[in-house]
Amino acid sequence: MIRLHDVSLCLGNASRTSAVQFHLPAFEVAAGETVVLTGPSGCGKSTLLNLVASLRRADAGEVTVANVDLATLSPAQLDRHRGTHCGMVFQTFHLLAPFTAIENVTIGLRFGARKRDNTRRRADEVLRRVGLGDRLHARPHQLSVGERQRVAIARAIAGGAPILLADEPTGSLDPDTGREIFTLLQEVATEDGRTLLMVTHDPALAAELPRRLDCTGLIRSTIIAGGRDANA
Amino acid sequence: MSFLAMAWRYLKFRRLVTFLTVVGIALGVALVCAVLALRHESERALSREAGLYDLVVGGKGSPLQLVLASVYHLDSPTGNLPYTDYGKLRRDPRVLWAAPMGLGDNYAGYRIVGTEAHFFDLPDRNGKPFFRLARGHIFEDRFEVVLGSHVAAASGLDIGDTFFGTHGLVDVPGGEVHRDFPYEVSGVLAPTSTAQDRAIFGTLASVWEIHETEDRLHSAIQGTALLSDEEEREVTSILARLKTPGLRLWMADEIRKRSDCIAAIPINEILRFQRGVIGPVQRALLAVAAAVVLVACLTVLTTLHQAAERRRRDVAILRSLGALRSEVAALVFTEGVLLTGAGIAFGLLLGHGGLALASSPIRDATGLVLHPWHMPKAEGIALGVMALCGAAASLFPAISSYRRTPIDDLHLTD
Repeated sequence: MIRLHDVSLCLGNASRTSAVQFHLPAFEVAAGETVVLTGPSGCGKSTLLNLVASLRRADAGEVTVANVDLATLSPAQLDRHRGTHCGMVFQTFHLLAPFTAIENVTIGLRFGARKRDNTRRRADEVLRRVGLGDRLHARPHQLSVGERQRVAIARAIAGGAPILLADEPTGSLDPDTGREIFTLLQEVATEDGRTLLMVTHDPALAAELPRRLDCTGLIRSTIIAGGRDANA
Repeated sequence: MSFLAMAWRYLKFRRLVTFLTVVGIALGVALVCAVLALRHESERALSREAGLYDLVVGGKGSPLQLVLASVYHLDSPTGNLPYTDYGKLRRDPRVLWAAPMGLGDNYAGYRIVGTEAHFFDLPDRNGKPFFRLARGHIFEDRFEVVLGSHVAAASGLDIGDTFFGTHGLVDVPGGEVHRDFPYEVSGVLAPTSTAQDRAIFGTLASVWEIHETEDRLHSAIQGTALLSDEEEREVTSILARLKTPGLRLWMADEIRKRSDCIAAIPINEILRFQRGVIGPVQRALLAVAAAVVLVACLTVLTTLHQAAERRRRDVAILRSLGALRSEVAALVFTEGVLLTGAGIAFGLLLGHGGLALASSPIRDATGLVLHPWHMPKAEGIALGVMALCGAAASLFPAISSYRRTPIDDLHLTD
C-alpha cells in the first residue's frame, strides 16, 4: 500500500555550508497494516507522514502510495490523490471553526470522497459510528477536545480513504481520552481494513501495536562540501 | 456544501467585520448612485420643462432669473413690461402660442399666476395638450382660480373653496393678506411632474384689480394722480412657443434690440446653468463618491487579505482534505464577490431610497419632480466599474491563497 525507497528531502533553507536533510533508505507498509512511528521530536516522523500524504514532495527517491508513484502526479493530481487515498488526523484536530460537526465531515467528503453521493447521510453515519450521534450540529468550540478529535477521525474515514495518517492524535488529550481515541483509531482501521500510520510519543500506546518504526536519525544536518567556509 | 454556502458561512462567522465592510462599500455606492441619479433626474426635469417654451420675454435683468421666475416659479422676476408687448408678440406670425404672466401674490408660499385662459392650450412637444384638468373647469370669472395638482394636495383646497392671496411671492409671517379679494377654486389640474404643479393660476385681470385698487388707495392718501388706464397696464413676463425652435435665436435677438425688455431661451439658460453651476458641484460630489468607492474597495482588499491571513490554517486544512489550489482560491474569491455584491446591493437601495425620501422636499422646494428609482445609464456603468473593482480587490487574497503551501500553515493553531 505504501512504499518509500531511498527517499531524501532537503528541509528548510539550505545555507551555503549546511543543510537539514531527511533520508529514509526503505519503508514499506502492506494494505491493512498498522504501524506506529516513534522517536524524539524533530526526528522526521511527521515529515514521513507528510511525504505519504503528498503534502511534501521528495527531492529524490520513490514514494508510492496506493500503487501510484507520487513523482508522476501533477500538483492538482496530488491534491486529489491525497483526498481520495489518505484520511488525516492531527494533534490539534484542525476542524473548521465556522462549521458544525456534520458540516466539517461533509466538507471533507466534498473534497476527498471517492463517491460524492449522499454526503450528508454518510457524514451522519460516520459521526454516529464515532459516538457523536447527538453532537451532529455542535460547532467545534461547543465540543470537548475528545469530541473534536472524534469529529476529525470521522472526517478522515468518511470518504473511504484506505490509508489513515494520524499525527500525534492523542497529543492534546488527557490520558483517558487519549486512550479512547487510540482505541477508536485502531478499531476503524481494523474493521475497515485500512492502513494506519500513527505518530505517537506515548511509549505505552506504541507498545500495544505490533509494528513500530523508530524514526530517530531520519533527519540530520549535513555539511556541504565546497561551501564558502569549506573553501576558506 | 457549495462554495457559495461555505463562503457565506465564513462571512457570517466574522459578522462584525463583514457588516462594517458591506456598510463601507454601500456608503460609497449610495453616494455615487444618488449623485448620478440626481444629476440625471434634475437634467431631465429641468430640460423637459425648459423645452416647453421657446422664449420668455421680460423686463431688463438676468435671463436666467427671468427663466427661473417664469418657468420654475423660483427666484424674483425681472422688471415688468407693457401688456401691449404681449399683444404684439401674440400677433407675430412666427408665434404658435403665447401667454402673459402677472405675478405679485402667493397663497401659503404657492405663487398666484395671473394669465389668460388660453394658457392651458399649451401643447407639449408631441402636439398633445400639456395641461389637463383633473376636475372642475378653467377659470371664467375674474377671481376664479385653477390649482396645480401639488397645491391642491398640499393645501386641501378643492372645487368651490375660497382663500385669500398674500402680497409677495414668498410666504412670510405678517404678510399683507388681500382680504377684500377672495379667490374661488374652479378647477384642479392633473399632475404634470413640473413646477406648474406648485402654482395657482388665475386671471390677469384679478392681479391687476387687486394691485390697482391698492395703488388707487395709496394715490388717494398721497393726493397723487389716479391709476393708469388699460393701455399702460403691465405684465411680469410673456411665455411663448414658436412655430419652429429654429426661430428662437432670431426672435430673441430681435426682441433684445428693443431697449425695454429681454428675451431668454429657457433651454439655453438652463443648460448654461447646469454646466456652469450645477455641473462643477456634481463633479466635485462624484469625485468624493469615487474616493469613497476606492476606499471601500481597499477595505474589501484589506478585509479579505486579513481574513485570508487568519484563515491560512483553514486553507491548509482544506488542502489536506484534497481541495485543489484553484478551489481554495475560488472560495476566497467567492467571499470577496459576495461582500462586494452585498455592498453594491445595499448601496443601490440606500442611494435610491435616500433619493426617494428626498424627492418630496426637493419637489416642495424647487418644483422638480424626480423619479428616484429610475437608474440612468451612467449609474449602470458606474456600478459595473465598482463591481469590477471589488472583483479585482478579491483577486489578490485569492491569488495569495492559491500560492500558499499547506504544509507551512498546518502547524498554525486556532
